[in-house]
Amino acid sequence: MDEFFQILIATVAVGSLYALIALGYTLVYGVLKFINFAHSDVFVLGAWTSFTVSVVVLNKIADPSGVTPWWVVVVAFLSAVTVCGVVGYCIERFAYRPLRKAPRLNVLITAIGVSLLLQNVGQITGPAVARGPEKTSIKDGQTVTQAGDPLATVPFGASPKSMPKLIENVVLNESVMQSGNLAGGAMRGTVVFDKPVTFSEGRQYRLDVTRTVANADGTTRVVVEKLNLDAEPGTFEPGTEIRTTPRRTAAELQGSTYELIRSPRVPIGLIEVIIVVVSLSLMVGLQLLIFRTKLGSAMRALSHNIETAALMGVNTNFVISFTFVLGAVLAASAAFLYPMKYPGLNQTAHGIWVLLGLKAFVAAVVGGIGNVRGAVLGGFLIAAIELFGGWAYAPLKDVYVFALLIAVLLYRPNGLLGRAVTEKV
Amino acid sequence: MSFLLDAQGIGITFGGLKAVQDLTVQLPAGVLYGLIGPNGAGKTTAFNLITGVYTPQTGSVKLAGQTINGLRPHQIAKAGLSRTFQNIRLFGELSVLENVMLGSHVRGTHRLLATLLRTPGFVAQEEAMKRRAMELLAIFDLARMADEQAKNLPYGDQRRLEICRALATEPKVLLLDEPAAGMNPSEKKSLSNTIREIRDRFGLAVLLIEHDMGLVMEICEQITVLDHGQVISVGTPKQVQADPKVIEAYLGVEGSGEPSGEVSHA
Amino acid sequence: MKTLAQHISEISPARAFRPVAVFVPWVVCVLLALAVHFVSPLLVNEYWESVLQRMGVFIVAAVSLNIVNGFTGQFSMGHAGFMAIGGYIGAGVTYYGSLILHGSVGDPNFAVQGTLLMLAGLVAGACTAAGAGYLVGLPSLRLRGDYLAIVTLGFGEIIRVLLELTPKQVSDAAAVKASPIVSFFGFNGATGFAGTPAYANLFWIWLFVAITCVIAYRMKTSSSGRAFLSIREDEIAARAMGVDLTKYKVRAFVLAAFFGGVAGALYSHTGVNPSPTDAGFQRSFDIIIMVVLGGLGSVSGSVLAAMILVLMPELLRDLQQYRLVLYALLLIVMMLVRPKGLFGVKEIWDLSRGDRKQPVGKGGTP
Repeated sequence: MDEFFQILIATVAVGSLYALIALGYTLVYGVLKFINFAHSDVFVLGAWTSFTVSVVVLNKIADPSGVTPWWVVVVAFLSAVTVCGVVGYCIERFAYRPLRKAPRLNVLITAIGVSLLLQNVGQITGPAVARGPEKTSIKDGQTVTQAGDPLATVPFGASPKSMPKLIENVVLNESVMQSGNLAGGAMRGTVVFDKPVTFSEGRQYRLDVTRTVANADGTTRVVVEKLNLDAEPGTFEPGTEIRTTPRRTAAELQGSTYELIRSPRVPIGLIEVIIVVVSLSLMVGLQLLIFRTKLGSAMRALSHNIETAALMGVNTNFVISFTFVLGAVLAASAAFLYPMKYPGLNQTAHGIWVLLGLKAFVAAVVGGIGNVRGAVLGGFLIAAIELFGGWAYAPLKDVYVFALLIAVLLYRPNGLLGRAVTEKV
Repeated sequence: MSFLLDAQGIGITFGGLKAVQDLTVQLPAGVLYGLIGPNGAGKTTAFNLITGVYTPQTGSVKLAGQTINGLRPHQIAKAGLSRTFQNIRLFGELSVLENVMLGSHVRGTHRLLATLLRTPGFVAQEEAMKRRAMELLAIFDLARMADEQAKNLPYGDQRRLEICRALATEPKVLLLDEPAAGMNPSEKKSLSNTIREIRDRFGLAVLLIEHDMGLVMEICEQITVLDHGQVISVGTPKQVQADPKVIEAYLGVEGSGEPSGEVSHA
Repeated sequence: MKTLAQHISEISPARAFRPVAVFVPWVVCVLLALAVHFVSPLLVNEYWESVLQRMGVFIVAAVSLNIVNGFTGQFSMGHAGFMAIGGYIGAGVTYYGSLILHGSVGDPNFAVQGTLLMLAGLVAGACTAAGAGYLVGLPSLRLRGDYLAIVTLGFGEIIRVLLELTPKQVSDAAAVKASPIVSFFGFNGATGFAGTPAYANLFWIWLFVAITCVIAYRMKTSSSGRAFLSIREDEIAARAMGVDLTKYKVRAFVLAAFFGGVAGALYSHTGVNPSPTDAGFQRSFDIIIMVVLGGLGSVSGSVLAAMILVLMPELLRDLQQYRLVLYALLLIVMMLVRPKGLFGVKEIWDLSRGDRKQPVGKGGTP
């Protein structure tokens, strides 16, 4: 049961990311009636941009405490959004606009071309924009200084990287069981409580220990350290030695206070909450933009009939460009959030990205492409199928998604919320 | 009396909109029959119902005694009903000749093995298709353009090529959807001659949608007038022209629009 | 006016039977294959022979994809899936067949029987692929354009995942003999299926290249081919003219999948181990690029484009990093300046006749 709820929470987080990407597909399809195959690559570009910018900034400020200032998050986010927006604009302007009157197949092929271009340009190893510390070695009695290893390059290169941790993924629904003064046990790596403690079956416990540490120059500082408790279930009287990892000596724990924290059965992480909150606000914002603003009604007019909209005085080129940039910005937001949850960044042409983009696209189609609410519904549906299906039998999780796609298209060719489009004879 | 094409009370509703309602059209052999009505009256929808693009929700369609409603469009074509389109739908990249040869596709056999092995039967059929297509093109004075790509033809020729392609299917009944649209008066003149000629030559019944009242009144022997999906008048050109409901439909809906003017003086 | 049937009855059988058109192309196929087989070793080294083999395989793949994407205008993006099916089944027949019949794989004394096994595997693989093509072709009736592209892409991915789930390869002859059917699906999961002997020499590969091209061209210049092309040009008009969309779309998919399977089976007999990623979209994209570059609908265009795109990485070896970037740019620029590919729907030999059309109804000898 716990596992079910854990997967449910992951579904909500992953689903909102899928939904954000799916919205980009759906918006472009809505106005231009074609699949922007390069959309997932814009997403990947966003992820790598936010990685590169974070690494460069963190490298520059080089704070030894390892605490990331909040503004790094903002800078990374804004740069991903800007880069993706500009690239989205350029794609539309230079690759798709000349083909606006061309057969759909040509546009589809161009889109594949743009997608391959973004993937493979991203995989070229460019000059380094951030380097690790300089390396010195002694050779023939001389000190030779070498430039440090490149940490980030532009373009991004052909090896996977790991996103630095910009925000600590704090578990939000932990409960503080008790607090008090902590002493070390006789044996290193054990602690002794000042009150009786009870550990329940099947739960995880942790100590947040506040203690004073001496600096090298004789001054002291206060640190909060997390110790995991390794205890059998049951109630223990004060004075019982309980093992912890990492291990601390009695001297180190001298005069420290503790908070005993019980991990929740179904942990809800800060990052998951951020993902859901940001995504949902973007979706609500988008909804307002489309249905409450003049620009939004222009977009809807275009999706209805591009020629008529133009005759009615809508600046179609502007609206189309805007739609592309909007889709790219949503993708960039998803791309900024995604590596927070999954820090491993694969190289841009890696199949895993194509698959991710495909799933988001499937979400858009399942929900009814061209329909904004459909994209959101589809995003959550695909995430649910994938994660719950994967829970049942993991190796087939991609198969479930495509099977759902085929099933939906066969029974509702226009998706769940899509409206029927009949070709005029 | 038996009719070649007998559509009885056909109708369809699109999301509450009664596009065509209780339409009955009966074509005896050899007739030139007009289906007219203001814009949005449901004429093309009626064509789509008869040719199987849409399946009629009510009524029945019989072609030479065979029930064809519910059949798929290619089966209806095989049964002997062919059509042209309001917005020309030629196979643009194919040659004029190939367009017409495709028309006789439905009368041929197309076994995979015969195609790959080029059996005598296959070669004879290709040859026959080509001969027949060339004969048809000659009738329409298009033979010299046989090797052109269809999309490169002038507009009027494209319209005539569509009729030519439709005839290649060896139809019993031919449905023409606004064949004179966009033609100049002299082209229209020759088109009306051609329509009469093919009727006589092929012994077809022709059902015609046309906006040009002059053309319709001139060549059609029977006319059905549609408005808002419903039949408002049936009869000879003279009867229809005199029908106050028809005049009202045109004047009422289109004001001083183009067809109304022509109703009065045609 | 005479009906088609009357016209046909007027054409004498003697006139309709054209031995030159019937037999010559097949003789040419064999001669071409022999020529490539015996001449190329004199001109190039072993490495380039392997390039020629790969070139042949991709010509078969591109020409077959052209039947669906080019002739019929149904955009399939899962061709690699069909290739992989053909490749695995073909390799499985040869590998496990050798184990059962001979007790070992790749014994030089078993080469003749091995080659026969390869041909059997080729047929089996191609037929299985054709069956899959039938299944994929069915949704094409309800899905147009972009949707079909996605479903076929999904198909390729499903094949890839299923191949990754296959059990371990069995290399023990006794175990295979004990349970041949179970062992046959031992395709070794994600690692790929190793050890299939390279029976597909230049002769066999180029024989199938020639056969595939003749068949594709004969399809194109026939009433069935016109039906394919009419679907691509305008589905609504095509069915109003009596073209059974179901039949022809499925026929196109089955034919394309069949020869895609042939290409895959040949490839897995050139010493290249088939692996699940062969079914993925990257390989499908490669073939699509060939078809689009050569011209959607042009058989000779696909041949030429496949040749160019197989040779290019060999010639651009130093620019390995930029090769795919170049492909992508090529594709985009092509769509902007020459949207129909090098030859459009035409064949290379049509170009010499100025802007005239391709021959029609000639019962063509390519």
